[in-house]
Amino acid sequence: MNPTIARLALQSLFGQKRWWVLVALPLLLMGLCLLVQLLTSGDAAATSFEAVIVVFGLGLVLPLVSLLVTTGVLGPEIDDGSIVYLLSKPISRYVVALSKLVVAVVVTVVLGAGSLFISGLILDPSAPGQALAVGVGSAVAGTAYCAAFVMLSAINRHGMISGLIYVLVFEGLLASWLSGLRYVSVSAFGRRIAEGLDDSLNLIAGNLPLAYAWIASLVVIVAGGYVAGRRLARFQLGGDE
Amino acid sequence: MAQPSDGRPGGVIHDIGYRPYSGPRLGTRDAGRSLFVTGLLNAYGIGRSGRAKGLPMTLLALMIVPAAIMVAVMVTLGLTDGFLDYGTYPVTLMLVIVIFVAAQAPVLFSRDLRSGAISLYLARPLSATAYALVRWASLFVAILIFIALPVIVLYVGALTAEADFSEHTADFLAAMVGIVLLSAVLATLSGLVASHTRRRGLAVGVTIIALLVSTGVVSAVQAITDVQGNETMGLVVGLFSPFSLVDGVQVGLLDGQSSFQVSPDGAGWGLIYLLASLAVIAGGLWLLVRYYRKQAGR
Repeated sequence: MNPTIARLALQSLFGQKRWWVLVALPLLLMGLCLLVQLLTSGDAAATSFEAVIVVFGLGLVLPLVSLLVTTGVLGPEIDDGSIVYLLSKPISRYVVALSKLVVAVVVTVVLGAGSLFISGLILDPSAPGQALAVGVGSAVAGTAYCAAFVMLSAINRHGMISGLIYVLVFEGLLASWLSGLRYVSVSAFGRRIAEGLDDSLNLIAGNLPLAYAWIASLVVIVAGGYVAGRRLARFQLGGDE
Repeated sequence: MAQPSDGRPGGVIHDIGYRPYSGPRLGTRDAGRSLFVTGLLNAYGIGRSGRAKGLPMTLLALMIVPAAIMVAVMVTLGLTDGFLDYGTYPVTLMLVIVIFVAAQAPVLFSRDLRSGAISLYLARPLSATAYALVRWASLFVAILIFIALPVIVLYVGALTAEADFSEHTADFLAAMVGIVLLSAVLATLSGLVASHTRRRGLAVGVTIIALLVSTGVVSAVQAITDVQGNETMGLVVGLFSPFSLVDGVQVGLLDGQSSFQVSPDGAGWGLIYLLASLAVIAGGLWLLVRYYRKQAGR
C-alpha cells in the first residue's frame, strides 16, 4: 500500500464530474426503497424486500457502482498516458496496482454495500440482521466484482464495455435461463453468502454450496489483484489507435 | 549567380504538374449532406477500421436474427394471425438497442470533441448549430435503421406468408411511428451524454446505466403501484424511461399493445406521453445546440 497513490486514486474518482454518477446509483436505490415503503404499507414492504434487493440492488446497483469505480481508478491514466509518470517512480508496480484496487474496493463497499444495508433497513426495519447479512454479502460480492473488472480490463482495451456485457448479458440475461452459470456468477456468490449469514433470507441463489461461494469469491479477489499488478508490470506504451 | 542585369529573366518557372481543383464547388448545404452521410456510415463502422465494424454489425445481426426466426416459425406452422406483434419487438430486444445506442453515440459525438477536430469543422462555413443538428440526424437515422430493419423483416415475412394485409399494415405503421419516436428520443439522450462526457468508456457506461436503470425503476415501481391499485402514480412513473414513454404513446394514441405493466388506455394520457417525448427531444436538441455553440466560441 502506498498512501500517496491511494490518495491520488481517490482524488481521480471524486475530483471530476464522475462522482455524481457514482453517488446517483446508491441514492436511486435508497430512494426506490423509500418509495416502496411509502406506497405499500407495513408488511407489504417486507415482501418486496427480495425483489428490490436482489434484482435492483445486487443485480444492478452494486455491479454498476463497482464497475464505474474500478474503471475510474485504473482507466483514465492509461487512456491519457499519464500512467508513465506514475510507473517511472521507484515503486513496485504491484504496490501501485494494489493501492488503486484497495481504494476501488473501499469506495465500492461504502457506496454499494452501504447503500444496500441502508435499503434493507428501510424496507424491513424490524429485521436489522437481514440487512446486515445483505450488507456483508454485497461487500464480499463488491470486492470480487472490482477484482473481476480489473481482470476484464486487463484482457481487452474496452474494460467498461466488457464489464457491462458481463453484468447485463452474462449475469442478468443468460444466468436467468442457464442456472449452471451460478457457479461463475459473482452476484450468485454474494447472494449465497448473505443467505448463509441469515437463514430467513431467500435471495434466489439456488443450491450453491456456501463454502464454494466464499472460496470462489476469494479466488476471484486474489486473481484480480495479481492480474492487475502483472498488467502494470508488463505495461508498454502503445499509441492510441 | 543569375543576376538579371541585361534585362533577361534569370529564373524559369517549371511546370511540375500541380493541378488546380476543377471539380464542382459545392455549398454549405452539400457540406452538411456529406457530413450526414459520413456520420451515418461511421455509426455502422463503414469507412472506419475493421474492428470498428465488429460491434455494430454483430448487434445488427442480433436484432435481425430473432425476427427471421419468427418469420420462419410463422411460415412453417402457418400461424398468420396474432403471432407477430410489431410494437413490442423493440422493447423485447431493449438490451441490444441500448448497447448499440450507447456504443455508437460516442463515435459521432465524442471523437471530434476529444481530438479537437471540432475546431476544424467549425472553422468551415457549417455553423455550430448545423453541425450539432447534422450529427444528431446521423445518429437518429442510424438508430432508426437499426430498430426498424427487423420490424420490416417481420412485416415483409408476414405479407409473403399471405397474412391479412390491412390488419398487418395498420399494426406495422403504428409500430413504425413508435419506432421513429423512440429513435429520436434515444438519439437525443445518448448524444447529450456522449458530447458531455468525452471519454468513450464513461459515455458508454453512463448511457447504458441511465437507459437500463430508468427502465428497471419504472417496471419495479409500476409493479408495486399495480398491486396497490394506484394507477395514476404508475402512469406518472411511466414518463421517466424512454421505452415506457414511447410505449405509452403507441398504446394510448395508436391502439398498440403494451409491454409494460401500466399503460395509458385513453387518448388523454397518450397525449401527455406524446407531449413529454416531444419535450424531451426539443429540450435535448436545444441543450446540444447550446453546447456546440459554446464550443465554437472557444
